[in-house]
Amino acid sequence: MAAETNARWLPVAVSADILSGTVIPASLPTGPLAVWRSASGRLNATKDRCPHRGMRLSHGFVRGETLSCIYHGWRFGADGACRKIPAHPALVPPRTISCGPLPVAECNGTVWAAAKRPDHEPVAYDGYMALRSVVIAASCAAVETACQGARAHGASKTRLGGHDTLLVMNGYAPNAVLVIVLVAETMPVAGRLAISTALEALRRTVETWGRAA
Amino acid sequence: MILYDYILSPSCYKVRLLASLLGAPLDLRPVDFHPGREHKAAELLALNPAGSIPILVDGDLVLTESAAILAYLAAQKGGYWLAGDAPAAIARHQQWLDFSHRLTQALGGARLVEMLHFEGDLAALQTRGVAALRELEAALFVQRLGGQSYLIRDTPSIADIACFPYVALAPDGSIPLDPYPSIRIWMRAIRALPGFIEMPGIHRRHDLAPDPFAEVPS
Amino acid sequence: MTSHAMRDAWYPVGLLSGLSEGGKDSLLLGENITVFGSATGAPSVECSGRTLPVVRRFGHLWTSLGTPDKDLFTIPEADHPERVRVDVGVVRVKCSPLRAVENFLDIAHFPFVHTDILGAESHPEVSEYKVEIRDEVDEVWATKVEFFQPQAARSAGGGITTEYMYRVPAPTCAVLYKTCPPRPGAWDVIALFVQPLTEDLCDVWPWMALFDDESALTDLIHFQQLIFLQDRSILENQIPKRLPLDPAKETPTRADLTSVAYRRWLKRHNFTYGAQLVAG
Repeated sequence: MAAETNARWLPVAVSADILSGTVIPASLPTGPLAVWRSASGRLNATKDRCPHRGMRLSHGFVRGETLSCIYHGWRFGADGACRKIPAHPALVPPRTISCGPLPVAECNGTVWAAAKRPDHEPVAYDGYMALRSVVIAASCAAVETACQGARAHGASKTRLGGHDTLLVMNGYAPNAVLVIVLVAETMPVAGRLAISTALEALRRTVETWGRAA
Repeated sequence: MILYDYILSPSCYKVRLLASLLGAPLDLRPVDFHPGREHKAAELLALNPAGSIPILVDGDLVLTESAAILAYLAAQKGGYWLAGDAPAAIARHQQWLDFSHRLTQALGGARLVEMLHFEGDLAALQTRGVAALRELEAALFVQRLGGQSYLIRDTPSIADIACFPYVALAPDGSIPLDPYPSIRIWMRAIRALPGFIEMPGIHRRHDLAPDPFAEVPS
Repeated sequence: MTSHAMRDAWYPVGLLSGLSEGGKDSLLLGENITVFGSATGAPSVECSGRTLPVVRRFGHLWTSLGTPDKDLFTIPEADHPERVRVDVGVVRVKCSPLRAVENFLDIAHFPFVHTDILGAESHPEVSEYKVEIRDEVDEVWATKVEFFQPQAARSAGGGITTEYMYRVPAPTCAVLYKTCPPRPGAWDVIALFVQPLTEDLCDVWPWMALFDDESALTDLIHFQQLIFLQDRSILENQIPKRLPLDPAKETPTRADLTSVAYRRWLKRHNFTYGAQLVAG
């Protein structure tokens, strides 16, 4: 049962929010992860924990095609293997040292990750593009109730700011859900602003219910 | 110009940071804020009865509010870091400077409780801190939609410097920054400005320094 | 009620210069304590109506929840009359008290966390040094530790190779002896005294005894606070929070021999408050 749940793509970030040469923190229900994009633009995900002393790798930095831990500068490649231990510059790190890479994929301007590799690619929603992510202090169920949307291939179809949108969600903790709003690729800036404002109103509604409950 | 300074004070850091970005020299006068509470002792109270730091002394001029000190430094260097002449820009700039006080009270208050044993209602400070961070995130997202990297335009102003330190140090008060991608990108841009300096809790961008192991294979 | 070997150890609970006669509530190993100052110079600590033993040393008040079988350790070098003894104050850190000590024993992080002060990315190498558990005093010692430092101390003018010795005389205390720039042949003493509040929360009281005729006291305090606060953002982001004593859980290298010996020593004495015994 647990394995089945883990082999599932969940949205973790908006693609545009991870610039080349950067690393960001993200979350799955199984724990924190570091998502990083190399200088050449390649996207990678790993457990958010350096195997050396447990430091969160999302606090680290990206140089070229490697991710470095901020604590002791240990470097990891896209495959998760340790490439360099600065305290021992001449040492070739043993192949067994890995930061634990995780499956990651991008579509609709959204970054999807999984604790175990699913047997399919993430669902693509034709003509839609991620606009923005917010974290709502509530459960997925509460957010779905609030947006009253029909479910379609893992997304909630919701009217926000007078426009059709799709919400994809990742309830990574009992009281925290990452919501990414997908909008029509052709949406003009005014529509994007209205949707962003409406998304914040949705968050206020859901969180007010939570406080009232 | 003499700056009465504390190495762990985000408000003092604002002044040091802008001075460094402007290339303006400061004479630092360290204040034993903790554990000595020197800011509440006679000499400093005579200079600033509010008992707070930073204090900037330039000849006869004594300034005790960090936003005013930032404006003074920026104005001396030609005003590139100020708002300009457009009424809306002047107002938005001032609004962010005012907003920075909310950050100081909420995020800074939580930090003092969590780090240095100050008294305070931590949960209330954190709630207000999260509300302020959400406002900032939304505003920076709107700026990005308009192709602008900073709070009032595509170049930095003292409003950005006034807001940056307490935001970057929010985790010191147990307020995570993970949920705010636009804030992360904005902070990253500030940390890349020529002349940027760090303070404890705000790391420099190692990725901008030359790579000592440039030959590492991927 | 905790029933572990660490109850019998001594812990710092306040600066002697900063005690309040009205009492200040605190925690020690998860238990509520109240620390009282005294106008007559006899401070005290109470825990659930019980008066705890106290020692005044190194500018701090020390206490124990249990029955210490030995006196609080001493630092004879620190008594030299020409040294400046510096109370650095307190910093609360959301981490295991044992992780705070282990970080203090580590030099390999200097280039990345204390960049251009205690280390430089161009000089990251940790050369071999000597580590031992000295059975006669029951302390962990690391000697002949050498590292290139751009600004080793407040009094250091430029980059030098600094020599360090580390000593762990108590489960949550560590003492560092390092090359003293103005006085070749002598050692500066920098100590980290950690008060374990809970298994993942601690108050850290750094303390120093230095030969430094030049720097103002406030400069010395600020330098040490700068260094320790750079560490704080690391300590609050290690996973798991508790220090893993299972060797399979983390990956040490030769540079980590002090930490390996510290963990072994903790395990040997059952000093496991703040430790994780089973991989999780």
